[in-house]
Amino acid sequence: MAHGVLPFGVAAIDRALPGGGLARGALHEILGAGGDEEDGALAAAFAAQILGRLTRPPTSPSRSLTRPGPSLSPLKGGEGKQTLPLSAFGGGEGRGEVGVVLWCLPRPDLYGPGLAAHGLDPGRVVLVRASRDAEILWAMEEGLRAPGMVAVVGEIGSFPMVASRRLQLAAERSGITAFLLRRWRDGGQAARERALPNAAVTRWRIASLPSLPTRGEPGVGHPRWRVELLRCRGGEPASWEMPAWEMPAWEMPAWEMPAWEMPAWEMPACEMEVPDATDHVSLAAALADRPAAPVASEKYRRAG
Amino acid sequence: MPLADALSFLPRLATALAKPAEDAAALRRLAEWCGRYSPWTAPDGADGVRIEITGSAHLWGGERALAADLAARLDRRGVASRIVIADTLGAAWAMARFAEASASVVILASGQLRAALASLPVEALRLDPITAQGLRRVGLKRAGDLYAMPRDALARRFGETVARLLDQALDEMPEPLSPLGEVPSRRVRLSFAEPITEPADLMLATERLTADLVPRLAREGTGARRLDLGFYRVDGRVERIRIGTAHPSRDPRHLAALFRERLDTVDPGLGVEDMILAAHAVEPLPAEQIGLPGHTASPHPNPPPLAGEGMGGGIAPLLDRLGNRLGLAAISRLEPRESHIPERASVRVQPHLTLPIPTDQVRGLKAHDAMGPLPLPPKGRRGPKTPSPPPGAERAGVRWGISGKPTRPIRLFEPPEPIEAFWLLPDDPPFRFMWRRCRHRVTQADGPERIADEWWLPGASGEVDAIRDYYRVEDEEGRRFWLFRAGLHGGDHKPRWFVHGVFS
Repeated sequence: MAHGVLPFGVAAIDRALPGGGLARGALHEILGAGGDEEDGALAAAFAAQILGRLTRPPTSPSRSLTRPGPSLSPLKGGEGKQTLPLSAFGGGEGRGEVGVVLWCLPRPDLYGPGLAAHGLDPGRVVLVRASRDAEILWAMEEGLRAPGMVAVVGEIGSFPMVASRRLQLAAERSGITAFLLRRWRDGGQAARERALPNAAVTRWRIASLPSLPTRGEPGVGHPRWRVELLRCRGGEPASWEMPAWEMPAWEMPAWEMPAWEMPAWEMPACEMEVPDATDHVSLAAALADRPAAPVASEKYRRAG
Repeated sequence: MPLADALSFLPRLATALAKPAEDAAALRRLAEWCGRYSPWTAPDGADGVRIEITGSAHLWGGERALAADLAARLDRRGVASRIVIADTLGAAWAMARFAEASASVVILASGQLRAALASLPVEALRLDPITAQGLRRVGLKRAGDLYAMPRDALARRFGETVARLLDQALDEMPEPLSPLGEVPSRRVRLSFAEPITEPADLMLATERLTADLVPRLAREGTGARRLDLGFYRVDGRVERIRIGTAHPSRDPRHLAALFRERLDTVDPGLGVEDMILAAHAVEPLPAEQIGLPGHTASPHPNPPPLAGEGMGGGIAPLLDRLGNRLGLAAISRLEPRESHIPERASVRVQPHLTLPIPTDQVRGLKAHDAMGPLPLPPKGRRGPKTPSPPPGAERAGVRWGISGKPTRPIRLFEPPEPIEAFWLLPDDPPFRFMWRRCRHRVTQADGPERIADEWWLPGASGEVDAIRDYYRVEDEEGRRFWLFRAGLHGGDHKPRWFVHGVFS
């Protein structure tokens, strides 16, 4: 824990992790489950959630409370922050501050709006596309040595022990957090690789669960995940079922993310009572004093 | 004379097949090797090399020394040569081939042009044989005979070429030399007394060269975007490393580090006798404030020795390293675009992007064409290309267009993957579908969200097949997919189903 931890803000998870949160400056491995082992959608979403918190400036929680909610107010909608010039990159010497995420992947199927919906500003992500695992590992290691990087993500199939140890050491040395998303080509590779050990500090598996139906509404409800902590150095394996931390679309003023605290629900309390038709119950509860309703603000914009 | 006749005269004649292509390649290599004398070199016909040495002779101690050096090196490699230095290409060509002097090096002083050419046969003017024969037939046998002829009469009778070539040889008309490669804007050279082969020596020399180049760039307030390091081997081959940078740079250590990554791709052969570092693309890079001692203005552990070496950000050096190994096209950034077609709403762009750079020089240094044709119109027809974003779109507030829209997936497949779907009613989502040989039973579905073609763009098909109805469905395992149906029921084609993305 030389570089501190990033708490999830979910007491049940934080209790299971030594130090009360996800270790910074360490290598974390994230797996999908079932058919998702191939696409890596859940692993990417889980990583994006964490990265969104890592890259956000630490001041944002208080600011967001005074901000008029998700309204896209013409004055402070974040215009002028659309593109980050190169010089704006890499300011993240201090940890947990604004910075860049290096995301190394074999095929560029990461979708910007999807990342934004999980709280990670896509403008902060530099994608590196490499076809071979060895190149991805090399790119990750380079990223872990670079100043100004906040986190490094790699999507990889086979992950030998030696490579994992190198990455873990590089992460420890620089204090940059590394995430390894496993994507297996097929069931055969998955079966071969799934049980192999590596030097990652934690290993997570995210599985999707049938969504919670909205009362009285047909259709897909609020998504739920089973988050399993399969391995944790200095901790115990554990497993939770929880609503996915997905922002309902209209909660998201595009670039400037709302502070979007990890909701302060405790595990037993997360049965998600009364999800209403707008689907944003779990998060709205955390931001109690939001002044304007989203719908109203949309109307305001149209009138202006 | 046919070969059989020749052999009957001289039975021990050694014969070999002519290989014009290999000869041309060898000549080209020779011309490239001559780049050590000047960047302006080009092969000339089948048997010569032109070198423009204006302004570079003094680096070798004068024209005579340059020619002597060239002759000695060619001699060592077993290349029989005749070197002529003259005011014009035409005169040098003529003297090299038709002069009767026995010396292998001829240097024509500026005033001697007309006199030297006058006694040469007319063929020396680079004429084709038929024209030369025509000239001879009317008694014009020597180049000097043409001096007095009126040019328009010559042109009428023998074509424009004769008059033009004559004028060019006599320096009355300019003749440009188009060089073999791109002519760099800045160039530094390092020659070794003894050929070097050791990687450590090569690296040391590379560092020296970059350190030499940097002050020149600094004086001009520019930084290099594209660099070419040539290794001139003893055997006349030239090995090259080309690098590009994400951001104009004149940090000697950064540039040297970029070369170091690729140094193992260089085969020094029997030794490298010259190294030339050329900056091909330079861009303005104003001087930067360097940190005071104790402050960390630069990401480097030691502040660089000269102003302006910082990279304008912490990650540009990293991007350079990645880009030079994986290809700069592999590095990208996501940017929103004003479009409701999902694959066009998020495009991959270069993390920087200033000047267009010729793509043949650096691997694919251009914005990704993330906006391919719509996959949907029926086979064989290309969909519309998305036009480039409106100017200033980045600044004008194109947002990650998710506000007010239904949820978007985190992974988007490009192109969408076709599935086999089963449905009941025309506007229903499928109740079951086959994707990647797996069967998924749909338990919940949202939709449809109809997304039509962008009909206001030129090239939009406007056909019914370009209409997509998106459904967000959940299967019994809880996996959530983004499916869409292309086309409508009752149209010309049966609607097709695709999976376009996966939700978390």
